[in-house]
Amino acid sequence: RRRMKRTAPRSTLRKIIKKHKPDLLCYKAWLYFTFKQECPGVVVHLNFLLFLHRLAEEARTNAFANKSKIIKPEHTISAAKVL
Amino acid sequence: PLQLLQGKTVPKRLKTSQRIPREPQMPRNLIKEIFRHFVKMPVTRDAFKVVEKCSEKFFKQLSGDLEAYAHHAGRKTVEAADLEVLMRRQRLVTDKMPLNVLIENYLPLEYRKLLIPVAVSGNKVIPSK
Repeated sequence: RRRMKRTAPRSTLRKIIKKHKPDLLCYKAWLYFTFKQECPGVVVHLNFLLFLHRLAEEARTNAFANKSKIIKPEHTISAAKVL
Repeated sequence: PLQLLQGKTVPKRLKTSQRIPREPQMPRNLIKEIFRHFVKMPVTRDAFKVVEKCSEKFFKQLSGDLEAYAHHAGRKTVEAADLEVLMRRQRLVTDKMPLNVLIENYLPLEYRKLLIPVAVSGNKVIPSK
């Protein structure tokens, strides 16, 4: 079993936020990444990870409730509605 | 008929180097990988598409929230504190589960080092205060 890739696509994250809120300076500390303590980008990634984790758990319980061995789209949709 | 004899004109190929600017988006593979890691169950292909859409919406909401928090504090820059407040509202960070523990559990060492002090060999703590 392969291990999960652990790196965060930081510039992509920045671009995504930029797309939604173009005038939000999320990453002023970006260039000084190693020097500065706080780097929100990584925390955004963490947030995203946790979101996926929750979604996964929710979808799994849905699948179990339907006695299904694989996760189908309707399970994930209903999971997403809960969150 | 003459027209048939002339042969088909092959349409000139478009330049392959033309890149279509796409909407920035989390890499699909990454989403898939993470989701599969957490679910530990087989997932159909359509379900992954739903997951992708969900994550897009998630980011939309996230950026809106972050803007609101930063504006509330009279700033234009998002800081780590904003994210902590956000995660507290999402009930990810609670009194029992502080942010540092989450960071420890979910992030790889390279990022952990940036966020929280980690003890390394030689009786050193990074980052040194």
